[in-house]
Amino acid sequence: MTANLAAITGIGSVSPYGPLGGLIPPGPVEPESITAWTTAGLRRAFMVKPFRPASVVPGLKTRRLDRLSAWALVASSLALQDAGIDLSNIDRSRVAVVFGTGFGCAELTEAFYQSAAVNGWGGTDPSPFPEGLANAPASHVALWHGLRGPNITVGSKGLAGESALIQAASLLQHGQADLAIVLAGDTLTRAIYEWYEVAGLLSPACYNAEPLPESGSFVPSEGVAALVLEPAERREARAYAHFSSGGWAARGDAAGRIREMLGGAVPSVIICAGQGAPCAHGSTVGLAREIGDPSAVIVAPQAVAAGIADAGALLHLILALSGRPRGGEALLLSTLGDRGFAALLLELP
Amino acid sequence: MIDVIDPRKTIVVTGVGVVSPYGIGMDCLQTGMLSGQSCLVKTKDLYPGFEGSTAHVGSLPLAAKDNALRYSRSDRLAMVAAEDAVRAFDSESAGFRESGVIMASTVAGLSEIEPGFAQDPGAWYRHGGGLLRAASYPAAHVADAVGEHLGVNGPRCAISAACASSAMAIALAANLLLDGAVPIMLAGGSDALCPFTLSGFNSLQALDPEPCRPFDQNRKGLNLGEGAAVFVLETLDRAMARNASVLAVLRGWAMTNDAFHSTAPETQGNGLADCMRLAMEMAEAGCDDIGYVNAHGTGTPLNDIAETHAYETAFRERRRPVPVSSTKSYFGHCLGAAGALEAAITIAAVRCGALLPTLRLTDPIESASVNWLRGEVLRQTLPLAMSVSAGFGGSNAALIFGSGGFGSARS
Repeated sequence: MTANLAAITGIGSVSPYGPLGGLIPPGPVEPESITAWTTAGLRRAFMVKPFRPASVVPGLKTRRLDRLSAWALVASSLALQDAGIDLSNIDRSRVAVVFGTGFGCAELTEAFYQSAAVNGWGGTDPSPFPEGLANAPASHVALWHGLRGPNITVGSKGLAGESALIQAASLLQHGQADLAIVLAGDTLTRAIYEWYEVAGLLSPACYNAEPLPESGSFVPSEGVAALVLEPAERREARAYAHFSSGGWAARGDAAGRIREMLGGAVPSVIICAGQGAPCAHGSTVGLAREIGDPSAVIVAPQAVAAGIADAGALLHLILALSGRPRGGEALLLSTLGDRGFAALLLELP
Repeated sequence: MIDVIDPRKTIVVTGVGVVSPYGIGMDCLQTGMLSGQSCLVKTKDLYPGFEGSTAHVGSLPLAAKDNALRYSRSDRLAMVAAEDAVRAFDSESAGFRESGVIMASTVAGLSEIEPGFAQDPGAWYRHGGGLLRAASYPAAHVADAVGEHLGVNGPRCAISAACASSAMAIALAANLLLDGAVPIMLAGGSDALCPFTLSGFNSLQALDPEPCRPFDQNRKGLNLGEGAAVFVLETLDRAMARNASVLAVLRGWAMTNDAFHSTAPETQGNGLADCMRLAMEMAEAGCDDIGYVNAHGTGTPLNDIAETHAYETAFRERRRPVPVSSTKSYFGHCLGAAGALEAAITIAAVRCGALLPTLRLTDPIESASVNWLRGEVLRQTLPLAMSVSAGFGGSNAALIFGSGGFGSARS
C-alpha cells in the first residue's frame, strides 16, 4: 500500500454517456445493438456514439488517430478545462500523463493484422504500426498539450485504472511531476468482443433486447475517463476528492491488506469497481460488506464501467462521484475474484 | 556526488536475470560481449521472406507446469529471466512472497497471433488454441506470467512506453519501493522477435539490411533482437537486513517526453537531455561523475543524431568528452526489453570497469562532447554510469547506477 495525498481537481470522460467535462448527469444508459461490425444475430454492448472531437474541443485534430487516442485527447482536454487549468501558465515539463489500458490501440493492431492477411507480411500498411503501440494515446495527449513530463502507459489485469492513479500519485509525491493527467480506458473491437463471446463471458443481455439484470452481468463497454491530479497542498481549487492512499496486489488476504491500509479509517462509502464478470462483481460486493462498517453505503458496480474490463475504475469513480455520495472517507474497491484486488482510499468533501 | 546514504531511501539491485541471444544469465552476456562477438544473423534463416539481420534467443527451457499455449514467447523469455534473477534469492525469506512485478513489453502475445485472426476472430479463437493464445495479447500478461511462475503476490503491472518501456519499469518500481508499497520489486522487460514487429519496422523502412552501425555517419537503420532482463530491486536497509549481495545502487532515474512527434525524436534531443539532467540531479551527480553512457543508439538516422545533440546538451559542462557506446550493435534492438538489458550491461560495466565499444563504428558522427567507444574494450573504474532509452511517442528514460560503495551488505 502507498500513502499519498493528491487532489482530484478535474474530470473528463468519453463514454457511452457521450463526451463530458465534470460529473456525469444521472440517467440510465442501456446497451445498444452493435453495428460497427457484422454480427451473427443481435449482439449488444455499451458503445460510444460517434462524435466529432473538434466540436467538443475546438481545434482538435484527430483525423489520423484511432478512437482511443482521439478519446484520450478529448477526455484530457475536458478534464483540464474542468479543473480550470490554463496550461500556458504552467511549466509543462512538470506535467505527467499516466494512462491505464488493457488492450491499447486494439483497432490499429487489428488493422495491421488485416493488412498482413491481405498483402502478406511483406506488404503491410505502415500507418497502423507505430500508432498501434499502447502508449500512442498518452503520447498524443503529451503532443497536443505540449506536456514534457513523465509519460507512462500501464496495464494491469483488471486493475489498469487503479494502477494508473496510484502511479500518478507516486510521481507527485516524489516530486517527479507537479500535476498529472490520469486516464484509463479501452475501445471495444470485434476481436475483443468475440473473445469474450467464445470465452463464454457475455451476459444473456448481450443477445436480447431485455433490460439489464440488476447485477453480476457482463456487457462489454468502452470509453476513456480522465482525472486531473494535483498535490493537495498546492491549490485552493475545488476538489472532487482527495486521494489518500492506495494499493493493489495479485493475491493474498485482501480484507487484511485493505484493513491495514485503512489504518483505522472507517469509510462511509465503498464504491465497488473492477471487472464486470459475475465472479468479480459478487466478490467485490462481498468484500465491501466484509471490510466495511455496517453503516457504510455500498455503491454497486456500474455495468457501463464494469464492461471496460481492464480499465473501468476511473469511470466507476466518476459515476460514483456523480451520484453525490455523502462526505467523508470513501473506498474505491476492486476485486478479480481470486486473481487480485485494488483499494483506493479517498476523502470526499 | 553524495557520500552519505539513507538505507531506507536507497534503491539497490540485488539480482539481475538475463536471457539474451548469448544465452541465459549475465555471465553468458558479459563473456560474449567482452569477446566482441556479434549475435546478428541473417533474418531469413529464421523467418523466410524477411531480409536483413536479427538476433534471436534459441529454444527456452520450459518447466513441465508451464502450458505452452498459455504463455507467449515474451512471457517465457520473461519467466526464464525472472527465474535467473531470483536464483540467489531465498524464496522463503521475508517479503519475497509479497514482491511486486513490473514488466515492460511492446510485443507481449503478438508473437502468438496470426494474420487470419483479423479476418474472422471468432473462428480463429475456436481452433488451435486461439482463445488461449490470444489471452496473452495484453502487455499485462507478461507481468502475470512472471508473478505466477515465481509465486509472488504483490502488485503486477505492465509498462508500455515503446522502446523506453523497461527502463521506465525499473524507475517506477523504484518509486513504489520508496512509497513503501512493496518490500521487493521485480522489474524489467521482455520482447520476442516475431513477424509482426519485423513486418512493422520493415514497412517503416527502419531496418538496416546489414548488421547495424549505431552512431556511424553511414548508418542505415536498426536490427531487431529479442530477449528479457529482470532486476530484483529493494531498499538498502532491507538488503542489509537479509545480508543480500548488492550488485549496484540505482542512484538516479528520470522520465520525460519530447511532446514533438508521434514517431520521430525531437531533432535537438532536448527531451532526452532534460531526462539525463533530471537523473543526474536525483543522483546528486555532476556530469563529470558519469563515467560511461550506454546509449539508446538504434542506428536509425534520426535517432542517433538527436541523441548526439542530447549528449552535447546534457554534458556540455563536462571537462572531457563523455564515453558513449551502443550495445545494440551486438544483438540488435530488443524493443521493450532493450532498456532493462542495457541497464544490466551498464551495471556490468560499473562492476567490472569494462566499457564495451560500439561494433562496426568506423566513421562516427562528429561531436566534441562525445567519446565514441570503438575498437577495444576500455578498462576504467567507474563511479557512476548511465543507461539511456528512448522510444516512439517521445518517451525518454535515464537510469544511473553506481557500485555499492558501502560495506554493510555484501557487494
